[in-house]
Parts: sequence; structure tokens; C-alpha cells
Amino acid sequence: MPPGALTRERDVREAYAAHAGELYGFAMRSLGDSGLAEEAVQETFLRAWRAGERFDPQIGSLRTWLFAILRNVVIDLGRARAVRPGVAEGGVEPSVEPLDEALLAWQVEEAMRRIGEQHRQVLVETYYRGRPYAEVAEELGVPEGTVKSRVYYGLRALRVVLEEMGYED
Amino acid sequence: MKTESCREWRESLGAYALGHLPDDERAGLEAHLDGCAECRAEADSLALVSRLLPHGDPERFGPAPAPPTALAGRVAAAVAAERRDGRRRRRLRLGLAFSGATAAAATAALAIFILPGGSAPGPEQHLTFRSVPQGVTIAATLNPQAFGTEIHMYVKGIRSGTLCRVFMRGPGGADVSAGTFRYRWGGDEAAVLSSALDLSRARALVVHAGGHTFVAPIGGDKTAMYDKPQQEATT
Repeated sequence: MPPGALTRERDVREAYAAHAGELYGFAMRSLGDSGLAEEAVQETFLRAWRAGERFDPQIGSLRTWLFAILRNVVIDLGRARAVRPGVAEGGVEPSVEPLDEALLAWQVEEAMRRIGEQHRQVLVETYYRGRPYAEVAEELGVPEGTVKSRVYYGLRALRVVLEEMGYED
Repeated sequence: MKTESCREWRESLGAYALGHLPDDERAGLEAHLDGCAECRAEADSLALVSRLLPHGDPERFGPAPAPPTALAGRVAAAVAAERRDGRRRRRLRLGLAFSGATAAAATAALAIFILPGGSAPGPEQHLTFRSVPQGVTIAATLNPQAFGTEIHMYVKGIRSGTLCRVFMRGPGGADVSAGTFRYRWGGDEAAVLSSALDLSRARALVVHAGGHTFVAPIGGDKTAMYDKPQQEATT
């Protein structure tokens, strides 16, 4: 059994404390239902516990491993929901984002939450809203050069956060 | 090579990665990048980050929903329950490896050996509950035993954590509890329950789950069935 394997109940509690928030956030984003998201998170930790001896921190982070399990759980839950009478008979299935796109989207959104407010703000205004730097600068009451430099440091901060989250391109 | 000009160009790299630099500034920066490996590497790495941005939805940059505090306790309880059941589950897996005809033959041989002179129990019976919602499967395998009946319950498609109560209906029509189990989503193993009622005397298997009652007649004793046909019911 590799050291760091998830074999004691305490290991699961610690893993929960460290990662449940993120896992739940992603489950909510992809399932859109708090009951299903809770079910998915609980199932993820149960599966992790069952396979705990196989987890090897030398191979990948606990976070990455848990997300891989959650990804499968969400797929299974989606299938189970697809055969559930209400959805099948109602004929109105909400449009479902492909799961890997949802995971990528969630990582970008989570990274955005983790960088500083000033950095997020200029990225939202200049990139997502496409507003001119001069206009954003005036609104914030700072020189245009400051907006430009915040965009630079914002992207750097995003890079650091994404690396911490285990994103690999 | 790092030069004084790096400093003045550096802070334009963000706008450059996002395609926001005016043409004249971009031309000047690119001339610098051609001669500066360090700034070029920084520009490349920011370009990678910028390519991820379109995947994010700015409407979702606000605080993410937090899991309810009670979920931590439920997860801990589920793991603890699973640990307690660990030994039983392993035994069950071993039992299932001998399922089917081999197991029935082995059981019969064992019973004859243990109970010389006693009647060998009948064959195991497979039941599938029919009046169930679409997507739901409830099935059981009943094994006659010296002590009564061993019941293997298989459930699929109902909400995880649902409590299932199982009864065997006796010859007089009374339901005798055979135990409870909780369906765990993703669990493929059968729940093993037992009843003191002999399989040959049982009329039906009854499952209460999620506010519904499911009944499957037991066909071992045909006369009992024909005497008073069991209604398969979903309430």
C-alpha cells in the first residue's frame, strides 16, 4: 500500500475538509441540482474510500484523483437521470454541456474566484466585456497604464492558480 | 538577454496575450520579443492562459455554492457503515462466486450431508418485481436454508440512501419482516437478508421503499398461488 493511501476514516475526513467544497461546486455546476450534487459528492468519497488503497500520491494529487472519480460519478448520475421517468417522458431535457468542457469551464471559473478582486475586475471588463482600456481606467479612477499592468499581473496570477489546481495543457 | 527595455515591455504582455494591443505597440513589442528569449517565454506562457479564458463564464465568477454542513456527517457515516459492512461484503462476494447451478448443487449436497434423513431443500428461486417505475429494477434470489430462507436483494435506479424494508408473506397472509437495507447508488452487490419462514411456505416477497410497496408472488408453491392469487401492487 503506498504511503498516503486513503485507508483510514480520518483520511477521508481530511480529504473531505480539503476538497468537498470544490467537488460540490463542480457537481452543482454540471448537475444543476443541490440534491444530486450532494449525492454525487457522497458517492465520490465512498468510491474513493473503497479504492483508497490504490491511491498513490506519487502518481497524482488527491484533488486530481477525486475529480476523476467525481467526473465518472457525474456521468453515471446523468445516465441514471436519463432513464428516470420524469425526464424521459417530459421530453424537455435541459441542454447538457459536454462534461469535459464543464470541467474546463469550472477550473477557469474557480481560478478566477481565487485571484484578487482588482485583477478579476480588469479581466472581466477588458476581456469578457470587451471594453476599451481608457474607459475602464476612467471608471476605476486609475491611469490606463495601471489597467494594462493589472491585466498582465491578473493573467500571471491565473497561471499560478491553474498550476496549483493541477491544470496541465 | 534581459535589458532595461524588458521592464517597459513586460507590462504590455497581458494586453498582448489577449490581443488588445494597438498595432503600433504590438509591432514594437514583437520586435523586442524576437530578440529576447525571456520575454518570449513569458508571452508564450500567458498565451496558454489566455486560450483558456473563453471557457469561463463571467456570470459564474461569483462565490461558488458551498455544500451543506450536514453533508460532512453523512459522508463520514456512510464511510463508517461501509467499513463495518466490509467483512460481510467480502463474504458475500465469495458467496456470489459460487452462484448459479453450482451453488444450488453445493447447497443441496451440503444440506443432505448435514441433515441426513431430512428433506433436501428445493431449488433457489429468482424473482423480478414487475410493477416498478421505469428505470427501476428490483430483483431477488431466494435460497432455501435449514433456518428458513436466505434473500439476496438487487436494487437499481432508486435514490441513493433509500431505506428498503423487506417482508415475506406467510401462508396466512401476514407479512413477516426479513430485515432492512439501504440502497447505495453505484453499489452492485446484493443485500443479504434472512427470514425464518421456509421458502416452501412463503407466498410473496414484499418490499417497502420510498413510500411505495412492491409485491412479487413466490411461485414455488403453485397451489398457494392458485388458491388465492397474489395481486402485484404498487401503491
